[in-house]
Amino acid sequence: MNEISFHVNGKPITAEITPRTHLADYLRESLCLTGTHLGCEHGVCGACTLLVDGEPTRSCITYAVACAGRDIRSIEGLEHDVVMAALRTAFSAEHALQCGYCTPGMLVTARDIVRRLPDADDDRIRLELAGNLCRCTGYNGIVRAIRRVLDLRLNFETVPVDRVSEMAPIETATTKPILKIAKPIQPTGDGLRQTLSFAVPRDILWRALQDPALVASCVPGATILSIAQTHITGEMAVAFGPIQGKFNGSADVTYGDYEGTVLGEGQDKISKTKLTAKAFFSVTEADVSSSVLALTINYSLRGALAQFARGPVVQAFADEIAGIVGQTLQAKLSGSGTMIAPKRLSAFRLAGLVFWRWLRKLLNLAS
Amino acid sequence: MKAVDFSWVAGATLEQASQKAKAGSKIIAGGQSLGPMLNLRIAQPDALVSIAGLALLRGATENDTDVTIGACVTHAQIADGLVPDIGSQILPRIAENIAYRAVRNRGTIGGSLCHADPAADWVTTLLALGASVVIAGADGTRLVALRDFFRGAFRTCLAPGEILQAVRIPKLNDGQKFGYYKACRKPGEFAHAMAAVLQMKKTTRVVIGAMGAIPLIFEGDEATLQSIAPAFTARAGGIDDVTRHMQLIAVKRAFEKLSA
Repeated sequence: MNEISFHVNGKPITAEITPRTHLADYLRESLCLTGTHLGCEHGVCGACTLLVDGEPTRSCITYAVACAGRDIRSIEGLEHDVVMAALRTAFSAEHALQCGYCTPGMLVTARDIVRRLPDADDDRIRLELAGNLCRCTGYNGIVRAIRRVLDLRLNFETVPVDRVSEMAPIETATTKPILKIAKPIQPTGDGLRQTLSFAVPRDILWRALQDPALVASCVPGATILSIAQTHITGEMAVAFGPIQGKFNGSADVTYGDYEGTVLGEGQDKISKTKLTAKAFFSVTEADVSSSVLALTINYSLRGALAQFARGPVVQAFADEIAGIVGQTLQAKLSGSGTMIAPKRLSAFRLAGLVFWRWLRKLLNLAS
Repeated sequence: MKAVDFSWVAGATLEQASQKAKAGSKIIAGGQSLGPMLNLRIAQPDALVSIAGLALLRGATENDTDVTIGACVTHAQIADGLVPDIGSQILPRIAENIAYRAVRNRGTIGGSLCHADPAADWVTTLLALGASVVIAGADGTRLVALRDFFRGAFRTCLAPGEILQAVRIPKLNDGQKFGYYKACRKPGEFAHAMAAVLQMKKTTRVVIGAMGAIPLIFEGDEATLQSIAPAFTARAGGIDDVTRHMQLIAVKRAFEKLSA
């Protein structure tokens, strides 16, 4: 709990608030100001839009503790505002609401349009409304209502906005690039492919791959929980940037003639994201003392994680992981013993110990 | 749709914020990208260290060659022309099309770069403009070219405890022209294709963003309207035909929008 002071609808408030409570929840649950509505709760629908220091703000992705010292005004606090009064009349006259769920956010955004863009044409009104979703009206009534209020040319008080303050010049040491831009990745359209050469005979590589746990351990961040013949259960931790997930799931391995498949599925309980993946691998002989492992992996991701880690992002990340796994495996199998720096990916850090264990096993099998 | 429990520290100074920003914690500025990730529990930090209140990060300055903008200057402030510009309305035009006004009111230029979303407007445009970032850490400040700052989607070279203090953007000079175009299904949504072009006296730089990884940078012979298609196809790998088409249209329109 953090002690925070701010003004809500003109009233000074000091309260103990848990940091994870967003502003809309605080207003609704603690102050019973239920005029602020919650739709998507991740900043897309605009229903929770209210004013912080006079500026429209998404109260669902603004934590209450981030508003110390601020002046918060919800729809309840705009009853006597001259622009809002005109908007209420116009919304009613133009059928700018039906169920009313989006209306508090619409009104706050509409008020901002009227005050900030007095010369807005209808296209501009629509553009400005892009961040507020209404599923009833088709927006025509809302645009007409805002048009009507703009045409009234109301007199209202404005607060002059200052240029941002002059900052002192910053002295810096120019440093050399820390890391060069990664080589462009070459993903294929239908999944990712990796071809890895090993300086071991085909049979040794193939025998190493007969261990299902070993195959599963090709995935960074993977922890094996149980192995029953070719059925493996485990978890896989994924972390890149602020994104984190922990998938619980299972995989089945089938073997053919120097080739095989892995079918896996998992779920991240917290973000409710589902991952399904299918990998095909084959081993071919390059010459008496070396062999080639070919890997094709297809996967799909559904749910919250997929929404943020949009398709191409997941693809690029998976490609990067696969590339490093391949190199590590190759180094281990060919006995060079050099571990490719795992610190580049946080997924590796999470997996570090487990990964080492399986790599050692691989090394033993191969030698 | 509720974030996991985390602690919240508002840094009183940059040094204090830097000390608090240990592994497991996350720096938060406007929180307009991190907020959704927290609410969806895709991000689950132990602690958030707020730097939004630091006056040091909220200013801007200019000299003959560059504009330096504090990390916590908001998109709305840039859109409203409240900071110096590098040319004629270049930064405001980029800023005013980022997400929605309510998001621009809190979202910051530094936060956007640190979040390193490949589809973010600043990531692609500032790469094209040859910007650098001032990074404050325990050993003082260092200047890092933006092209060395990004390590991949959502990843940067910032070490724990390091804070992006400001963004330095060179002013357009000597007949340089800049153009930017992005394709969104709906205004304010994540872009599906985007390209920025900086035409310089002797060469041109084309940056194509909204890809899986960090934006692709093309310079020299590759960076012309005629040669970009094969260069892009070669470097983008196996992207589908629709995406390739959209990206190349974005490049064409960015060239059409070139202005000083």
